[in-house]
Amino acid sequence: MLRVFRNRPYLLYLTRKAFWYLVAFVAAVALNFFLPRLIPGNPVSVIVGQMSAGAVESATLERLYTAFMRDFGLDQPLHVQFWTYLTGVLQGDLGTSFMLYPSKVWDVIRQALPWTVALQVPAILVGWIVGNVLGALAAYKGGTFDRFAFTGSLMLSSIPYFCLAIIFVYAFAVHWPLFPASGGYSFGYFPEWSWAFFVDALYHYALPFLSLVLVAIGGQAIGMREMAIYELNTDYVNYAKKLGVSDRRVVRYVFRNAMLPQITGLAISFGTLIGGALVTEAVFSYPGLGSLLFTAIRQVDYPMIQGITLIITLTVLLANFLVDIAYGFIDPRIRAGQVGER
Amino acid sequence: MPNVVEVEGLEAYYRTPAGDDIKAVDGVSLAVREGEVLGIAGESGCGKTTLAQVLGLTVQKPLYVRSGKVLLEGRNALALDRETMRREVRGKTISTVPQGAMNSLNPTLRVRNLVIDVMRDHNPRIRRREAVERARERLDLLGLPPRVLEAYPHQLSGGMKQRVITVVSTLLDPVLLIVDEPTSALDVTSQKVAIKLLVDLLAKRIIRSIVFITHELPLLRHVADRIAIMYAGRLVEVGAMEDIVFRPQHPYAEGLVGSVLVPEPGMKERTVTGIPGRPPDMRRPPAGCRFAPRCPKRFDLCDRDPRPFGIDGREVWCWLHRDQPNAERP
Amino acid sequence: MELLRILLRSNRFMAGFWIVTAVLAFALLGPTLLTDVGPFQRVGGLFNPPSRDALLGTDNFGRDVFTQLMYGTRTSLYIGLVAGFVATFIGVTIGTLAGYASGVIEEALMGVTNVLITIPPIVVLILLSVAVDARTATTMGIIIGVTAWPWTARAVRAQTSSLRTREHVAIARISGVGSLEMMLVEILPYMFSYIFMAFILQLTGGILAEATLSMLGLGPFQTVSLGTLLHWSLLWESVRVGAWWAFIPATVFLSITTFSLILMNAGMDEIFNPTLRHTR
Ligand SMILES: Nc1ncnc2c1ncn2[C@@H]1O[C@H](COP(=O)(O)OP(=O)(O)O)[C@@H](O)[C@H]1O
Ligand code: SF4
Ligand SMILES: [Mg+2]
Repeated sequence: MLRVFRNRPYLLYLTRKAFWYLVAFVAAVALNFFLPRLIPGNPVSVIVGQMSAGAVESATLERLYTAFMRDFGLDQPLHVQFWTYLTGVLQGDLGTSFMLYPSKVWDVIRQALPWTVALQVPAILVGWIVGNVLGALAAYKGGTFDRFAFTGSLMLSSIPYFCLAIIFVYAFAVHWPLFPASGGYSFGYFPEWSWAFFVDALYHYALPFLSLVLVAIGGQAIGMREMAIYELNTDYVNYAKKLGVSDRRVVRYVFRNAMLPQITGLAISFGTLIGGALVTEAVFSYPGLGSLLFTAIRQVDYPMIQGITLIITLTVLLANFLVDIAYGFIDPRIRAGQVGER
Repeated sequence: MPNVVEVEGLEAYYRTPAGDDIKAVDGVSLAVREGEVLGIAGESGCGKTTLAQVLGLTVQKPLYVRSGKVLLEGRNALALDRETMRREVRGKTISTVPQGAMNSLNPTLRVRNLVIDVMRDHNPRIRRREAVERARERLDLLGLPPRVLEAYPHQLSGGMKQRVITVVSTLLDPVLLIVDEPTSALDVTSQKVAIKLLVDLLAKRIIRSIVFITHELPLLRHVADRIAIMYAGRLVEVGAMEDIVFRPQHPYAEGLVGSVLVPEPGMKERTVTGIPGRPPDMRRPPAGCRFAPRCPKRFDLCDRDPRPFGIDGREVWCWLHRDQPNAERP
Repeated sequence: MELLRILLRSNRFMAGFWIVTAVLAFALLGPTLLTDVGPFQRVGGLFNPPSRDALLGTDNFGRDVFTQLMYGTRTSLYIGLVAGFVATFIGVTIGTLAGYASGVIEEALMGVTNVLITIPPIVVLILLSVAVDARTATTMGIIIGVTAWPWTARAVRAQTSSLRTREHVAIARISGVGSLEMMLVEILPYMFSYIFMAFILQLTGGILAEATLSMLGLGPFQTVSLGTLLHWSLLWESVRVGAWWAFIPATVFLSITTFSLILMNAGMDEIFNPTLRHTR
């Protein structure tokens, strides 16, 4: 092992993690690049052809065609194309939107991204915290409480996000019109830093947020319960009890140790829940990436789809990396260099 | 002198999810006397750890005491309430070094914090500093480096973990220490050190008695005063160490003494190769003498439960000795 | 057999099992027994409420929702099954190989697996779905399967490595049993319950992935699935006009199916995975 890492296990852990995330990043960019090229024939003419089924003028089509040929660089050999794409991505150039021509993809995404982040990050975090407390309680109490909490969590977590979203819209926005049925803010408002806008936005926020949080709670509670039950049966817990350590304190040991894998669970949430969360946005016509993606798919706006998937991947990778850094900090075994992989 | 702890007619069973009972300890009467080292030996699975849980008053689900008496210093221990049991008995009157001590330390807790927790949960008035100081003195007294207090478990070697656990378990000077297979995960050198530590604890009068559990009978030669041999949830022979090790009377004890242990790398618990066959299924143990299916000397009486027969101070549960008087219960 | 007996006593498993069976029967037998129209056939006007003629009313094109529900459930289950088989097959193969082989092969296989786990599956799903032009139910199942296997691979590898050190495997190795035979005879059978549980999870995930993709507008062509039903209700605003019969049945069926599958899995988990057994 390299000299720099000797006696610096945390640094080694970080470097190793950073390396793997870099590999994942390159793999993701490569997928983003190569998968569209699986479309048989010339992808540009296929896409433009699909579009021409709609009522678009042929002059516009012509312009689109040349613009996309240039963007895709189809006359170049593949590795040159990939290089062009990669350098473009690194400079924040994700190409030109098709449905919103001539807007740049990045400019459109930039407006939608804050809404998605503002909706999903709090939902995941709140769901994670509440879910963990619930799961730990269920594991510790056992009996009837556990049975209800566990079955309830199973039910919540197995309802697809968007099913709950649809039911919420119907129940609380249509049948009993307590909340708005769609959008991130009311017609006539404009996103600005004002109290009135904030209140209006919060009002629109409630339902989508709640539908995401509930499902997230269910999933996390199940994970935590499982970990906590596992920890409750470990040798160290039995030993502590044999020494007459109090229940309160044993619970604290268990909670802490069951929590560590749950931090990884948090990272996984970012990756796996985002799909369902995107559709939830579409259900609420929330002005985030999900709704944008929904429209982009309907309009076959390939550069936009590609841009969104790339941004999602990057965000998830970044979130995961941050979680891993924190994890390495918290777990003494990693700080001391005992375990490289979790 | 009273017995530290004693069980009478003990039936301790595990309840399986399918609703069956695993009769791990099935009718055992045994007393641990103050000032003695009592060895308990037998093949793995015969119920030693289960008996240790009852003697250590640390029974928990799915294990339960189906019937029998458990006496702590002469009083009914099963009637003690949970909190008294935790505060006054566990770790303080009777303490345990559990089987598989390698995993018995919380991986994210420094040893010093465990020490603090153990001491303060028995005496809330003690300060954290004092607790650590006491532990340091104790380690010093026993010749262990005090820096282990700052370590996380994974930073300790296997042998060191075993010793640290022994010290933590005896911090409150318990009357009795139960050690369950303290050597089976260790190499020969660490085994010797671990046993020497136990002898030290007795010599320095930190503890008064030891129950030493092992599946390797020869190990007991150096430590035990008395030995109890178990087979399939029952005692088969109990007596003084020399008698059992050099003149065993029960056919199973003979096999255990005479058998050669073949070390197989990678197998935690070795099987006794000197006795052919396997122990019975503990859900449905055979009627009569439980050893009969494997016993080279079985005869027509053996399909009935043997009584304990007394042979110069020891008890033997075998029909071969039916001409001896019934054993006198101590 | 002992385990089977316990399984039959598990309320969770049995509840899940019976619901899944009922849903399956509805999807398989329903289209022939309970309806005589097709899923795309017009039987009434725009958003007719439930009536004797159309048990669950009609959708925005006047098509029978009850019929669509049966066909849709069938397609969704089919896609889930294809995805489940593909993902489990790839995952078990790679996981067993990685767990059994060691050294470079293991490192390489797990490296690939871990990188793929880091990339959010929905991204690959969307990209693949857009790239594959004519999506049949089968292609969708395959697409979902090939993106979902890494979790199974990781879990199976962990199991295999722990099995490898067990007694009977060690004995087989000493007696010179070949690698392939070893994997097939000494390792895989011990993981059957485990693999079955992984399959159930993948099946659930496949059904969900189909619904997600279809709702985004990347569903199978020329068939209905539960996801396409929901996609239509988004597209034609049946939620906002309050035509509950057009979307509630699909929502409920989707939730019930995934819930009962997960229930089955939880029941099995408690039994096959003794460390999860609640002892308190
Ligand atoms: N937690 C448990 N649940 C069910 N059965 C158990 C449990 N622990 C031990 N047993 C069973 O009880 C019997 C005695 O086990 P144990 O006391 O651990 O034996 P020993 O310590 O002598 O090896 C064995 O048959 C074992 O399988
Ligand atoms: S009672 Fe009979 S079977 Fe049992 S040990 Fe004695 S001789 Fe053997
Ligand atoms: Mg034992």
